[in-house]
Amino acid sequence: MTWSGAFSLLVGSWRGRFGLAIIGLAVFVSIFGTLLAPYDPEASSLQVLQPPSFDHIMGTTESGADVFSQILVGTRVSVLVGFAAAFISAVLGSTVGLASGYYGGWTDRFLDALENWFLVIPTLPLMIVLARLLDPSLTVLIAVIGLTSWAGTGRIVRAQVLTLRERAFVERARALGAGDTYIIRRHILPNTLPLIFANTVLIIAVAILSEAALSFLGLGDPTRISWGTMLENAFNSGAPSAGAWWYVIPPGLAITLLVLAVSLIGFLFEEFINPRLQKDSGEPAAADELAIPLVQKES
Amino acid sequence: MKNLLEVEDLRVEYRGRPIVGGVSFSLGKGESLGLAGESGCGKTTTALSLMKMLPDGLKQSGGITLRPEGLEEAINIGKRTEAGMQVVRWRHVSLVFQGAMNSLDPVKHIDSQIAEVIRLHEKGVSSGEVSDRIADLLTTVGLTPALGKRYPHQLSGGQRQRVMIALALACRPSLVVADEPTTALDVVNQAQVLELLERLREELGLSLILISHDLGVLAETCDRIAVMYAGRIVETGTVEAVFSNPQHPYTKRLLDSLPVIGGERGLAPPIPGAPPDPGNPPKGCSFHPRCPYSTDRCLIEPEAREIAAGHVAACHFSPWASWPELESSGLAVES
Amino acid sequence: MSGRWLAGKVAAALLTLLFVILFNFFLFRVMGDPTTQLARLPRSTPEEIEKLQASYGLDKPLIGQFTDYAGDTARFDLGTSQRSRRPVWDEIVDALPWTLILVGTGTLIATLLGSWMGVIAATRRGQKTDDGLLGFSLFTYASPEYWIGIILILLFAVWIPILPSGLQVTPGVEFSSVFAEVLDVAEHLILPATAMTLMLLGQYFLIMRSSMVDVLTEDFITVKRATGQRWDRVVRKHAVPNALLPLVTLSAIQFGSVVGGAITIETVFSWPGLGELTFTAINDKDFPVLQGTFLIFSFGVILANLLADILYFYLDPRVKAT
Repeated sequence: MTWSGAFSLLVGSWRGRFGLAIIGLAVFVSIFGTLLAPYDPEASSLQVLQPPSFDHIMGTTESGADVFSQILVGTRVSVLVGFAAAFISAVLGSTVGLASGYYGGWTDRFLDALENWFLVIPTLPLMIVLARLLDPSLTVLIAVIGLTSWAGTGRIVRAQVLTLRERAFVERARALGAGDTYIIRRHILPNTLPLIFANTVLIIAVAILSEAALSFLGLGDPTRISWGTMLENAFNSGAPSAGAWWYVIPPGLAITLLVLAVSLIGFLFEEFINPRLQKDSGEPAAADELAIPLVQKES
Repeated sequence: MKNLLEVEDLRVEYRGRPIVGGVSFSLGKGESLGLAGESGCGKTTTALSLMKMLPDGLKQSGGITLRPEGLEEAINIGKRTEAGMQVVRWRHVSLVFQGAMNSLDPVKHIDSQIAEVIRLHEKGVSSGEVSDRIADLLTTVGLTPALGKRYPHQLSGGQRQRVMIALALACRPSLVVADEPTTALDVVNQAQVLELLERLREELGLSLILISHDLGVLAETCDRIAVMYAGRIVETGTVEAVFSNPQHPYTKRLLDSLPVIGGERGLAPPIPGAPPDPGNPPKGCSFHPRCPYSTDRCLIEPEAREIAAGHVAACHFSPWASWPELESSGLAVES
Repeated sequence: MSGRWLAGKVAAALLTLLFVILFNFFLFRVMGDPTTQLARLPRSTPEEIEKLQASYGLDKPLIGQFTDYAGDTARFDLGTSQRSRRPVWDEIVDALPWTLILVGTGTLIATLLGSWMGVIAATRRGQKTDDGLLGFSLFTYASPEYWIGIILILLFAVWIPILPSGLQVTPGVEFSSVFAEVLDVAEHLILPATAMTLMLLGQYFLIMRSSMVDVLTEDFITVKRATGQRWDRVVRKHAVPNALLPLVTLSAIQFGSVVGGAITIETVFSWPGLGELTFTAINDKDFPVLQGTFLIFSFGVILANLLADILYFYLDPRVKAT
């Protein structure tokens, strides 16, 4: 996958443009959110659970804080946790997958068993247990999510490396006396990176959802506002039964939009790598498939 | 006597571009016709349009008339609706598909797949009769009836293709279309399956359309042969005529590229270039960019002309009295 | 079914379970030594800590501690809840049926509805119906299930108050018959089960759709159509049975997310299952309960995987040959 190829892929479809726009907006807000926020997101006031008005375009929380300001400021946690945890997961997953696929033998057996185990164990309970044992903070959230979501990447990378290892150009490099590090760096990794990349994009979505779920369950960083903690506060303060839709809908919608955007980009990359997944190749299926071996293409 | 099958100016279009550009041929009862050509020349598309089974987006036009024995009226396939085709498919025309591996439902027993088509086309057949007929069919294609209790994956590639042939005969159709029936098989099974098709044709009076890229296969099994290039038939005639006296440069080159056992002839140079996209063929004769004998005249589309009785070719220069010597590729076969 | 194959699968499942127990032990006894939590309390004296350590058997060597722990687990002795002072096992036994009811209902509806939608979309690929279903399932895939739950409460318990917003049964009511009680529970089940269904629907739909799309391009589908069967019959009799196979395996893998959904959805609806038990344990730092529910959740997922393997074995004749 070349950079220009990736670019035209993203800009060439509405899914790509939608995804890029939302992610771009989220990144921008996560950097400048504190400056953009019209109010101090944590300042309480007497205007408790007020519906949207000119002063508060998304209304107020149970403590009278501005919902819109909280949404802006809360973007940072989702973006930060999403990207950082997915990065950890990508590094872990590709290292384990590479080692497992390339070296084989007992290394493979051990790492494969480890991957299997992580794939079988239910992720959210595992995250809950880990996050509860450590004290909740942003770092803990990132570490816990990153450490529990790498197994899928590891599995995919391993499979890819297994096929690459037997390919002619790798065999040739080995016959010419190339060392493992050289072969991995020059031949295996470049051919695996697009796969890792597409998978990591999808893990960003999972990480954002995980952070929100953990925060909703009270395992978020208590010192920071995030969309998940907003939902937690809204729920615990009885906003749903008070009919305070303006407090409940924005954080969930923000999560949904960002996850949707990231997933669309991820699916797009997956389709690009594996054209079989494409919705409609546009060519009739009835074309004769068998070539005459004696007829050669001019080259 | 009227022909069993009459195809007249069959055209298939995809988004306004021709995939098959006006194909006409006919087939007598008990006769077998070979359709030859490179990949993408429209052979399979032609076969599927005989059953009106083209994928969405492909539009077919032209006349296809089938006159099965015992039927008063001819079946005008070209004009039939989908519902109308459902009673024609398999009852009168059946198909042996190229993928021997995947042509059968993997989660159903062989027996039940054959029984399904019998029950579909013949109402009120007793289950005893159905199982007798399945046993007969399997025996006919050289399999033991006990194999019917198995799943497709439990059979070898050759056995599966025999099952496919048994399935194709289940409703006693008058025409069987076999699309690359031997391509997925090894040499021994290829020969056996071809022999089987040949025998069935004689015993059951079947008509057969055999589609293959392998001229050798067609030479063994067919009475007549039609060579397709870029969605058109460029030459047609009896197997003897076409093989001994090809009248189109494309046929000539295809024949030259056949290996001859014990032959001392040098291997002909491969045909240069790739087959054209049938949707966007070159101007004039669509073979001319790859033809070693092409001249300016070839920019005008040649008419199909009868060279000898039943031998038709679409080339400005036919009949060719002799083929000019070409430079050897140097790929001479050591003898 | 070959006994060896089954034995191998069961052995693998047991091994995974053993790893879970080992992991659980290390996590809670080594990393999360309950006394370190207690030691943070300002007034606990060293004597108190020692006494506590002895009561947990933490003064023994590690191996001894593990065999004790594994033995206890095998006897369903999962310790005592720090909050309720009841045995953790009893708490789990009380909560488990409610979770099974919720998860079972949600999974059942989502599987049926999702695969039906998948067939519809795959046979109308690229058309408006397909696009609509894809969009809908992408949205439910991307949105947090507990948020959907809260919105359901907002819609059907607050704005249009026709359904209860939480709990499993109306509190303080004497039911005239078992039937009336079941009806009441069913009424309470509607919203959480809908949230559960919506959470799973998108995934099942996408799996079934892509599985159907794959199967529909297979040669045997063309052959079945060539035999003169009507298209809807080919889809029903040949495409669907083949397309359902991957759904079986993949839905077992999805079972982990079902468990995750149970935790958050039960929390939203105060549904007294394992999820809510986990949630209260998180807030109370009730580690024995947390450990117990983690064990049960893991056991559930391992069991689901094993059952899916066995089911697949029965459904797909090709597996039997290997």
